[in-house]
Amino acid sequence: MSSESSSQSLDRPTEELTLSVNGETISTTVEPRLKLSDFLRRECGQRGVRVGCEHGVCGACTVLVDGKSTKSCLTYAVQVDGAEVTTVEGLATDGELHPIQEAYHQEHALQCGFCTSGFVMATKELLDRNPDPDKGEVKEGLADNICRCTGYQNIYKAVDRAADELMEAPSDDLSDRTGGGE
Amino acid sequence: MSGAESPTEPGTETDTHVERESFVGSGLERVEDHRILTGEAEYIHDIEPENTVHMALVRSVHPHAHVEDVDTSAAEDHPDCLLALTVDTLKEEYEPMPCGLKGFEEWSLADDKVRFVGEPVVAVVAKDRYAAEDIVDLVDIEYDQLDPVVDPLDAREDETLVHEHFGSNVADSETLDFGDVEGAFEEADNVIEREYSWGRISGVPLETAGVVATYDPDHDAFDIDCNIQLHTLVDDTIYEPLGYPPEKVNLEVPPDVGGSFGTKIAIHRYCTLAAMASQQLDGRPVKFVEDRIENLQGGDMHSSDRDYRVRLAYDDDGTIRGLDTWFVDDFGAFPHYPVNQALKPLSVVTNAYDIENVRYDYEIALTNKTAQTAYRGFGVPPHLHALEMVVDEAARELGVEATDLRRLNLIQPDDMPFRLPTHNIYDSGDFPAALDRIEEIVEEREVCEGGLLDPDVVEQKREEGKYRGYSPTVHIEPGVSGSDWTDRQRTDKDALEARDREDVSELPEHFRIELMEDGTVQSYLATDTSGQGHQTLVTQLLADGLGVLPSDIEVGYLDSVTAPTEYGTAASRMAVMLSGATEGAAQKLRENCRKLAAQREFGCDVDDVVYRDGGVERADGSERLTLAELAELDSGQKNERLTRVSYDYEHPTTSLPEFDEALTRKFPVYPTAAFAANAPIVEVDTDTGEVDILKFYSLRDCGTRLNPTIVDGQAHGGLAQGLGAALMEEFEYDDEGQPQAITMFEYLLPSTKNMPDVELEHSETPSPFTATGAKGTGEGGMIDGPAAIASSINAALADQGIVADQIPMTPHRVRKRLRDGE
Ligand code: FES
Ligand code: FES
Repeated sequence: MSSESSSQSLDRPTEELTLSVNGETISTTVEPRLKLSDFLRRECGQRGVRVGCEHGVCGACTVLVDGKSTKSCLTYAVQVDGAEVTTVEGLATDGELHPIQEAYHQEHALQCGFCTSGFVMATKELLDRNPDPDKGEVKEGLADNICRCTGYQNIYKAVDRAADELMEAPSDDLSDRTGGGE
Repeated sequence: MSGAESPTEPGTETDTHVERESFVGSGLERVEDHRILTGEAEYIHDIEPENTVHMALVRSVHPHAHVEDVDTSAAEDHPDCLLALTVDTLKEEYEPMPCGLKGFEEWSLADDKVRFVGEPVVAVVAKDRYAAEDIVDLVDIEYDQLDPVVDPLDAREDETLVHEHFGSNVADSETLDFGDVEGAFEEADNVIEREYSWGRISGVPLETAGVVATYDPDHDAFDIDCNIQLHTLVDDTIYEPLGYPPEKVNLEVPPDVGGSFGTKIAIHRYCTLAAMASQQLDGRPVKFVEDRIENLQGGDMHSSDRDYRVRLAYDDDGTIRGLDTWFVDDFGAFPHYPVNQALKPLSVVTNAYDIENVRYDYEIALTNKTAQTAYRGFGVPPHLHALEMVVDEAARELGVEATDLRRLNLIQPDDMPFRLPTHNIYDSGDFPAALDRIEEIVEEREVCEGGLLDPDVVEQKREEGKYRGYSPTVHIEPGVSGSDWTDRQRTDKDALEARDREDVSELPEHFRIELMEDGTVQSYLATDTSGQGHQTLVTQLLADGLGVLPSDIEVGYLDSVTAPTEYGTAASRMAVMLSGATEGAAQKLRENCRKLAAQREFGCDVDDVVYRDGGVERADGSERLTLAELAELDSGQKNERLTRVSYDYEHPTTSLPEFDEALTRKFPVYPTAAFAANAPIVEVDTDTGEVDILKFYSLRDCGTRLNPTIVDGQAHGGLAQGLGAALMEEFEYDDEGQPQAITMFEYLLPSTKNMPDVELEHSETPSPFTATGAKGTGEGGMIDGPAAIASSINAALADQGIVADQIPMTPHRVRKRLRDGE
């Protein structure tokens, strides 16, 4: 049986990578096959990124890449070279929940919470794109995310509440809270 | 009801309680949320001690084969390989895993034969999961393929055996008669007999199973973090295979678990393998996180898979006289622990109907598929489906409305508590009122102009090939399982006749509180949780019970060694058991505080001290001690501290003679009967076969609602799973025993696109059997949703004579029935 001494790994190929994660610039070397989800969780400490299926169906791993919601389990880290990535950790400011997070809390839109980061990020993209979605648009906008606990009813309510909050909020306040440092 | 009042403590007059608004009964916001929403929650995936190495499993690609040779040399040559564990090492150094029935032996890695696709054969460990998976590909296994046993009905007669030494593919069977079944079927005006089936489905929690195990060579003991469910009850499934006593195997479940719904009680294989690997590696922490494909194909996590034949005896006037159910449940390769889910339906065997004569007959079949685990409802949903289908068909035969036939046979409120022929008792409820109300809601809101069931619209839709319909149903959710009955199948049946009430032991729920010197209250749950909001519930109850603010309360967890053996989170149990335990503990603490103040500070009689507003006072108001002062006063105490209490809330049936008969004969005992009346409005597209739920009306009663927000959340989530079960989800196998749903592209889960608007209404009939009047509510929608949806499909397709006889009713199946009916 091989033992500890075999620390000389096979030479795995690596590539350079520079990106911004929640406003912080990171330059590093990674294996080309490293998934963005694993990179964010393990190497950037953004463990709010969840993996539920690792094949692009559940949406638990959803993050924003240059503002666009992206399944980080279907993306290799090297693919986002030069991009700005926002995870759920990038939303709250100084311990204050982002209005979307607050709305999920108020409406009991989470139970086990494993899907929640993904839903919150999908909601972020949806509301950035369409600040006042109707029910059908909410359903459409979140159709790429699975929640096994809540039955979605409270998630719809949370999105509505967040939309109201955000529309009332002064806009400069808003950009402060988007994270990503733009 | 009592939800809005402050709790009172009978018999403790001096224990004056604060008059203020109660947290219990209000929809208190959850204390769990902040950490989850900010990404700070700690799930098993997040736990990774320094030096952790990673395990991956080599799994069988064949459903049934002899393992001729296992060659791990190439794997071991990989520079990142730390360990390749085979069954040989397991058999030299460890023990097999416990099975649900006697006579079966299962090792954590396949021994000699593989019995299902996905069965682990070799475990490898490397420095990261990527490398471990590379190494998996280097293990070479030579198989000699055997015929697979696939169809459960054929399996019973099959010459090919899943377990040769057992001599049969039927692991267990029993026929139980209650009342005069023969007589009922002979004398009734009509007998109808039909077949129904319920496909393999499961909870599929979004988080998969995971474990981090560390062997401690200095103490020859294990520390295991894992997201197992019922960690204090099923810990034997881990310490036994390791061959260690329970106190050497410390199981801890992280505060956050990404859903379980029953399924994670059976993840011990992973825990034992990681622990063994850590021991082989002299104590290096070994982590394993199941990936989704492993979870879906071979994660020991499928649930009930049944074929029913049901007979109903009924008179011309609609009175149902007898029910006879026979079913075969496909348990897969091993009869795991939840074999008892074949029996749980006995606790609601006639559902909300008063039927005196009942036969219950089952066979547990073994096939080359992954083994079963528990899932929300624990075997009840298929039973209710079969029962409701035959009631619908009997109504058709009689030419009456199904709702009228139902109404006629419902248990009446005056008959509560109601004793079922199978000896379980329904505590309280008004089923006819619930049925009337749900019918009224739909009539008022939908069978009117502009409603979904506006007769003109229904007609017009029909012309487009879209058939709408609904059919209200009432279903019972048996709550708060007892535990003694669950090993009925491992007990000598004849010995049950002579069994005594004294032989019965039911597990209480354990809870601890400690006052801290900074005035906060530290408390401990002895049970794990997976999203139900236990911390919030306990916080509410303690805030009320101790007259403090929720922000002053911390709720932690006990590990498997510290906690007494508990039943824990299962069977719609926690609201009832935890609320009982929390209230009991709070009362004990209040009494202790009064005693402490009287004896050590005020120098007066205990009766002259009252507990009020988070502190104690002399009755005349002259002196007062806060919780912080009480804790400090107690801190010098050498012996038992008075500001540290633990409390065991007895299982409600323990002191109720009503349940004696069920308990002594080991029949399922569920002392609460929450119920729901549902009316999903469905639309079937006769071109595509697609069933669309347009709206789901549900009237629910779970007794006292301790936290209405959480109650609603449970209902919504349960109904979504019920919808998935009814229409979409299934682990199918092909004729060769290959699983067909191994990704989420094939195992379809409801998304926002499938979930209709759900309209909930509540009634509150407090349970007379529980401390807080609460009834269980965790499994509800999954128990009642599928049968309700199926009945509405029957109503929509009544003209075609089609019945939703097979769950799930996928578009393909609906189309097939429409074609066959033409
Ligand atoms: S984990 Fe990425 S979509 Fe499921
Ligand atoms: S809250 Fe559990 S999966 Fe959504």
